[in-house]
Amino acid sequence: MDYFRNLLGTQPGDEQPSSHETIERLADRVQTSSLLEDRRDAVRALKSLSKKFRLEVGTLAMDILVKVLETDRGDAEIIGYTLDTLHHIMSNEPSEEDEMATPESVELGEQFTEIFIKQHENVGLLVSLLEEYDFHVRWPTVRLLTVLLTNRPKDLQECLLVIPMAVSKLMDLLSDSREIIRNDALLLLNQLTKGNANIQKIVAFENAFERILDIIVEEGVSDGGIVVEDCLLLLLSLLKNNTSNQNFFKEGSYIQRLTQFFELDNAESHNKQAGWSAQKVTNIHLMLQLVRTLVSPSSPQNQTVACQKVMNHCGLLQQLCAILMASGVPADVLTETINTVSEVIRGNQPNQEYFASVLAPSNPPRPAIVVLLMSMVNEKQPFVLRCAVLYCFQSFLFKNEVGQSQIIQTLLPTSADANTISAGQLLCGGLFSGDSLSNWFAAVAMLHAILGNTSQREQLLRVQLATSLGNPPVSLLQQCCNMLAQGVKLQTRVGLLMLLSSWLADCPVAVTHFLSNSANVPYLISQVSSSEGDELELIVQGLCAFLLGLCMVSNDDQNPSFTKASLKEIIQNRIGLEMFTDKLTSVGKNESYTRAAKKPHLHYKHPSEIVFDFEFTGLFKHLENEVLMAVSGAENMGLKAASRREHESIVENYKELIKEQDQKLNDMSQQVLALQSKHSAATATIEELRSQVQQLKDQNSLLKAQKGQTQGTANGTGVESLQREMQALSLQLKEKEEQVEKLKNELTVSEAKLLSQGGGGEGVKENGPTETALLQASLSRLNSDVEELKKQCTQKDTEITSLRSQLDNAQADLVQAQSSATDNQGSDSRVQELTGELQRMTEERKQLQERLTKSNQENLNLSNKIRVLEEGKEAEAAEKGVLREELDTLKKEQDDLLVLLADQDAKINKFKAKLKELGQEVEEDDDEEDFEDEDEDDA
Amino acid sequence: MSYAYLFKYIIIGDTGVGKSCLLLQFTDKRFQPVHDLTIGVEFGARMITIDGKQIKLQIWDTAGQESFRSITRSYYRGAAGALLVYDITRRDTFNHLTTWLEDARQHSNSNMVIMLIGNKSDLEARREVKKEEGEAFAREHGLIFMETSAKTAANVEEAFINTAKEIYQKIQDGVFDINNEANGIKIGPQHSPANQNMPSGGGGGNQGGNCC
Repeated sequence: MDYFRNLLGTQPGDEQPSSHETIERLADRVQTSSLLEDRRDAVRALKSLSKKFRLEVGTLAMDILVKVLETDRGDAEIIGYTLDTLHHIMSNEPSEEDEMATPESVELGEQFTEIFIKQHENVGLLVSLLEEYDFHVRWPTVRLLTVLLTNRPKDLQECLLVIPMAVSKLMDLLSDSREIIRNDALLLLNQLTKGNANIQKIVAFENAFERILDIIVEEGVSDGGIVVEDCLLLLLSLLKNNTSNQNFFKEGSYIQRLTQFFELDNAESHNKQAGWSAQKVTNIHLMLQLVRTLVSPSSPQNQTVACQKVMNHCGLLQQLCAILMASGVPADVLTETINTVSEVIRGNQPNQEYFASVLAPSNPPRPAIVVLLMSMVNEKQPFVLRCAVLYCFQSFLFKNEVGQSQIIQTLLPTSADANTISAGQLLCGGLFSGDSLSNWFAAVAMLHAILGNTSQREQLLRVQLATSLGNPPVSLLQQCCNMLAQGVKLQTRVGLLMLLSSWLADCPVAVTHFLSNSANVPYLISQVSSSEGDELELIVQGLCAFLLGLCMVSNDDQNPSFTKASLKEIIQNRIGLEMFTDKLTSVGKNESYTRAAKKPHLHYKHPSEIVFDFEFTGLFKHLENEVLMAVSGAENMGLKAASRREHESIVENYKELIKEQDQKLNDMSQQVLALQSKHSAATATIEELRSQVQQLKDQNSLLKAQKGQTQGTANGTGVESLQREMQALSLQLKEKEEQVEKLKNELTVSEAKLLSQGGGGEGVKENGPTETALLQASLSRLNSDVEELKKQCTQKDTEITSLRSQLDNAQADLVQAQSSATDNQGSDSRVQELTGELQRMTEERKQLQERLTKSNQENLNLSNKIRVLEEGKEAEAAEKGVLREELDTLKKEQDDLLVLLADQDAKINKFKAKLKELGQEVEEDDDEEDFEDEDEDDA
Repeated sequence: MSYAYLFKYIIIGDTGVGKSCLLLQFTDKRFQPVHDLTIGVEFGARMITIDGKQIKLQIWDTAGQESFRSITRSYYRGAAGALLVYDITRRDTFNHLTTWLEDARQHSNSNMVIMLIGNKSDLEARREVKKEEGEAFAREHGLIFMETSAKTAANVEEAFINTAKEIYQKIQDGVFDINNEANGIKIGPQHSPANQNMPSGGGGGNQGGNCC
């Protein structure tokens, strides 16, 4: 131990080589010492050196330290020192005593981080260390991971995604009861989720919203400290640009929980006029940002609309409006609140309606809109606040025709009420005040009141302004033109030109009104054709070109001196096409134009930055080409341009049509499929019917054949049951007939035979010729059988004799063989063979003899049978009668069948008709012929 | 808006089997014929009624592609139900079920209810996997089984609801620990009188100890 103490004691002020040596030695000790205590002390020493000598400790000891993490896991202390040491090496944060945080030292941390995480197992090791509950392990692990994430966020994020459950384990840290770990876990998660949507989603899935919101509440919501800030930052990180998480946040009913964030006790803020703590301001800012993230105009619209709806329902919008009207709210918070309210109400009618109904707690109560507009046209108010109010006003009017007409209404003479301040009055006041920014704000605000709303454009034409006493009132439009001509400040002119452009676009009435003052067109021409001026003047000239072009495009030729054609001529001759085009297109190329076109929110730091309005950029982009076409195109181009809207609507219609047709096509193809299957089914049926027809034809011919008593043996194979029945019946019939025939034949034969035979036959003859014949026939058959058997017997006898002789031969052979066997042992097998043959023969003989006896017996049996048959002839006579009867019934049945056949024919006809219906060809003639044939036969 | 229970689901299975379409059909009652590859994980939600109780389903539709596997694995643990989907017109998606199931069983809590779904039942003519095979696989591995069509919406509703019924039954049987949100189940705000004074994020000392 003394050894180390000496080392450490001499360490400060010592020169580099010695420290290098020391570290080397310590590293060696960590690596080789077998005693845990020794290793622990060495690591501790390394730790104390690691802040000052990051490079040395890192290069010499990092691998060894990682090994310690693997091998000495059981000892929390040494693990803790090791993790701390690694943390020091990687961390770029300048320590208290560290006077310089040089760029090299920043790089050092990154390089070591890179080396460390190159081995993915190292990260896995750290994640597994999180499982240790011991504070000395878990806490430094969290801190080390945070540093690693800060240094190489992308690599480590990818690395952690691959480690199973790593993100979940990091999330679990939020539930740690020790605040330090929980708070550091918040920092870790902030780094972890930065810019990685996949991790953001997993973290959200692990109930992050729930847990973070709980922590925020636990910590005292907006009055909470930096932990609340960290929580809010994490929420923002999880939700920003992550639609899936936003959806989850909404679906998880977490928006409702945001409401309590803005429960700012009014009484309290009155008491403490001193204001809010910096932390509270920060917290509220982040909370407002959180709300804005959910309803951002750049998010998918359905998502935004859904969130806006919830915010209205759960009272969040109401609370925000309350802050808007509360006193004692710091200006920057107020500004951000106005921006937030803007986005909560933007394009959502119920929310816009609610906003219009909000009253300021003034005396008398005025609508919040009016109060806000007052701030907008008040040059003493902070610039950002005024921008926010305009944004709010724009959002209120966005897609809100009712709101637009309400605002315009306040400008019209009929409803003008001198006693109350109206929005219209404020706008007019702003428009013609001496403050150019107010002019711009008021002009743009008015632009939004008529945007995309032709009827309000026409309404606005009715507005008359009282000028100095005695002079006739001037229309608002003309007053704007007059101001423009006076060549006031640039911002004012840009504002007015934008207002006029939106006013005249697609509004021929306004164009006519504009042209009726003969001074307007010459002013525009002079501006466009002017070649002097800086970049900003160029914008004005471009806008003048745009306005001039619009006068042409939306011209309905009501004014004889400035018709479409004459304007075109003026532009082409007085300005020149090239000049006009240059001026017009220069607008879109301007930097401030692109900046304004990005998003509706007015994000400006300085008044001079304000040039264009977001909605105007959209309008310009939309109409720029139309104007160019109208001005430069051939004679019919102007017409074309004018009817372009029409074309667009036609195209739109066609698109609809195509969509519809697509739908129809889908339906049709499905129908086709259905029909195809039906068709195949139908063909199958047709095939079936055809075969049936064929069968019926076959039956028909069969019946015909039978009718004609022909011997045709139609083979009705595989026909329907009916046919089979028919056939069976006809066969039966035939059999019977044959039988009868045969019996008749046999009878005659036996009669002849009986004449020459004994008297027994005469009795038979009397009984009936058929039976006698039958019996006679069987008798003769039996006789011939007997004859045959006898023949067989003699045959067998001869066989037997031949076998006997063979046997003799064989025996002789055997004797011979036996004699030769004595001479030759090799012929034994032959002897055996012969003996086998002999036995077989003997057996055969036996069999034959048996057969012979059997045959004799059979003979006897047959003679008996003859007797039996003779006895049976009487029975046969009776049967004959029965047979005759059967014959009759069969005939009747045949008749029935014919009737049935007629029915079948009718059916065939029907089927044929059906087939024809189905478009199948039918061999008509054949069939009908058959039918007729049959009829004839029947007759 | 209020609910008795909240269930977390995941949908898993090979790419192109119709996982996102099933979700879209269930949440929006729409069918999207063009295959739009899911990147990572997408979220959807819907309320259903079981046994007269409102139940909120939060569904995470995962990417089927192999390259997202490590991401999608992170979702197994916190889910109460999983829809394991294959395509009846593609035999290989059926053959991969074993891998999916192993993966799910390995990373999820043991009580997770898994519903096997043979999707695209409208494409009968192109069928490669018989219904009986799906049934047999489900029986063998203790899953519920259904054939669905995200296109015609056939059985889609049933698939999600039957899974919820099974989970609900498991809750009734006391199988699920409903106070542990890591199981993918949450009791609705008005239904947890017993837990009123136990903020879910608070956690005791012992909770920190067994969080891993």
